[in-house]
Amino acid sequence: MSLNPLSRRLTLEDAAHLLRRTAFGATDAQIRALAGRDAREVARERLALDQQLAPGNPFDPAEAATPFAGVQLTRAAWLYELLYSPHPLREVLALTWSNHFVVGTDKVRNVPVLADYLNLLRRHAATTDFARFALEVAQSPAMLRYLDADRNRKGKPNENFSRELLELFTTGVGSYTEKDVQEGARALTGWTFRGGRGNRRFLEDSEFFFVSGQHDGGRKTYLGQSGNLSGEDVVRIAATHPATATFVARKLHRAFVADTPDEAAVATSAETFRRTKGNIQAVLEELLASDHFYARRGAIIRSPVAFIVGALRTLGQPRLEVKQVLNLAQTAGRMGQFLLQPDSVKGWDGGREWVGDTALLLRMQVAASLTLGQGAPGLETHPSDLALLGTERSPLAGVTDGLNPRQRLYLTLISPEFGLA
Amino acid sequence: MTVDRRDFLKYSTLAIAATSGMPGFLARAAAQAAAQPASGGKTLVVIQLTGGNDGLNTLVPSSNGAYYAARPNIAIPKKDVLTLTPDLGMHPALKPLMPLWDSGHLAWMENVGYPNPHRSHFASMAIWHTADPTQARAEGWIGRVAEKIGDPFCASNIGGTTPQALRASEFSLPSIGSVDSFQVKLPAGLDGAFERLLNLPRQGEADYLGRATRQMVANTQKVQANAAKYRPGAKYPEGRFGTNLQDAARLIAAGTGQRVLYVSLNGFDTHAGQRADQDELLGTLASGLAAFQTDLETQGLADRVIVMGFSEFGRRVAENASAGTDHGQGSVMFALGQGVRGGVHGDSPDLEDLEDGDIRYKQDFRGVYAGALTTWLGLNARDILGGDFAGPGWIA
Repeated sequence: MSLNPLSRRLTLEDAAHLLRRTAFGATDAQIRALAGRDAREVARERLALDQQLAPGNPFDPAEAATPFAGVQLTRAAWLYELLYSPHPLREVLALTWSNHFVVGTDKVRNVPVLADYLNLLRRHAATTDFARFALEVAQSPAMLRYLDADRNRKGKPNENFSRELLELFTTGVGSYTEKDVQEGARALTGWTFRGGRGNRRFLEDSEFFFVSGQHDGGRKTYLGQSGNLSGEDVVRIAATHPATATFVARKLHRAFVADTPDEAAVATSAETFRRTKGNIQAVLEELLASDHFYARRGAIIRSPVAFIVGALRTLGQPRLEVKQVLNLAQTAGRMGQFLLQPDSVKGWDGGREWVGDTALLLRMQVAASLTLGQGAPGLETHPSDLALLGTERSPLAGVTDGLNPRQRLYLTLISPEFGLA
Repeated sequence: MTVDRRDFLKYSTLAIAATSGMPGFLARAAAQAAAQPASGGKTLVVIQLTGGNDGLNTLVPSSNGAYYAARPNIAIPKKDVLTLTPDLGMHPALKPLMPLWDSGHLAWMENVGYPNPHRSHFASMAIWHTADPTQARAEGWIGRVAEKIGDPFCASNIGGTTPQALRASEFSLPSIGSVDSFQVKLPAGLDGAFERLLNLPRQGEADYLGRATRQMVANTQKVQANAAKYRPGAKYPEGRFGTNLQDAARLIAAGTGQRVLYVSLNGFDTHAGQRADQDELLGTLASGLAAFQTDLETQGLADRVIVMGFSEFGRRVAENASAGTDHGQGSVMFALGQGVRGGVHGDSPDLEDLEDGDIRYKQDFRGVYAGALTTWLGLNARDILGGDFAGPGWIA
């Protein structure tokens, strides 16, 4: 299947769909502003990201008194950015990449290291050079620490990062051998970081550092290429391997198109990835302007973060109390999605994995607190069905007759239809 | 344990009290749930040690020089080992389990694995979850138990997200984050509308979400209708694992009817500084399980429950330079309970005949599962595992 460009101008429902996927959701006015526009033009515009952050973020992790508080504040600061950023697509992508190049706060608790990692994900959110992105992640103190790459020395390999580089970050299982993992570990020896180690120095900066005396400069064979390969060589070889194009393209389809991606469509994106030498921006532009993208409505089960951020963006980004943002970051965690702390290096599987009894119960509680609770935010306008459900004719009409607007809003937020994007 | 008429009235009153503010269909569901007799059957509690627990530092080959040669920094010194046999002993952090060993209710299955071992955490865990080394099946072995019994509530995970082991072809079985918070509190006046909302006809993922929500409402009612019966019979250690085990005991004591309960303990991926991390984890494991066992004995339920524990793989025999271990193959399984035949089942690995630095497994984990399925749960293991697998006679 090729990814044909959408031939029509965006309808209201097309615009609502695009904003559910690229901005977690939007208000009626934001949706209407895109209607009638050309899909390619809109995709290009939305992918022109800059690094400007939301003004007035009340959370400053540098003020934390303990590593644990540093993690909590980092998480809340990110949730604030997700809620109020003028570039929601940048944050959607940062969240997607944090679920690809996974690090976890079980091991990484240094405040500047986590901030550098997040900024790296934002800077490369729609990268034009995936291999460059992979190398910068690989050399980030967050990743060096998380997968023990800083413990990997000549003659004394630690295979953790080498294995996950192939299995989870680039080619995926099936394209490499156990020998490749071992040879990759050899090539990556000598990488470490300096500064910011240990629980007491959690506010101190860290930087990548190469210890040549601990690097194994001997001959290796990795994914079919031989030579005195360096760590940089290994990351580049893995990131530019043909299988990586498919593996990463499938991730992007998971994030933007459907929980169960169409493999023929994935193959088209993978071909674009290979042709453009890992230009993610080009892959996304083609994807977000395609009729395939616009045909897959309601095919993604919203993650806990997407549910919470989607609800608040649909409500017009009302201001929340500082404490409410902190609570919501915790609640997302209890629903299965602590920011910066997936269950494992594989990341969150998503899709139906998000649907458990406890997560569903908590969705009901969040919806109640945003609509009926004492601290429920005030709303300037009541969200339309188009904003809430992506359709002009609500499938819930009839169910909510006789209820007041806030009760209707509550029931809509807990409906299966709102739970999908 | 059966619920007599007087108890039933008492508990159904409690259940409705617990759901006050929502009469109507939720409370009716509560009353129906309470009216179901408690299961008099046996329960299997599965413990997952996530991350690849190092079997050699768990059940230690304390007379084997090759073990100490391969692990100069992280081996368990012989003087610290809790001696079980002339050749084997437990990691010292497992001391809370010694009374169970002494009474013949703790079993170790040596050297368990599967053909063509996979060193990916996720692929290997999926193999244990689906009981399918070819990775062709998506549904889990416990999900198939539920399909066989025909009741989606017959197995539950205690924890946040449902493991693949509990996936059935169309449904995940319940995950109960915590028994206390496992209840629907609907704002006043929305009873009828909520019921109508859930009953709208839907398709695709919306249909899945709608069905999952309806099932969740029913599950919470079953749990809440009975959970108040429980009075703790032991002091559990602090932390998520102890709390989850206590919730498991509570569900069993309340007679909510699950045949299989599932609890996970994370963090066994010990590539660096293994001693500190694994020591703490094994301590958490042992103190939690010891409290669980004491609780069951106090409740008079110890003859109805067994525990079976596994991890997706063991670690390399040789330590790495970070005082840790990288991903390996086969490992130990454990089981405990009055229904378990204590002792060491199977031969220890030969540490001088390795496969690429790993032990060669000798017992197929599906044979261990088969014992639990056939002898303990009274099911046809072949239907669930897709073949006949011989295993050690670990059920008494």
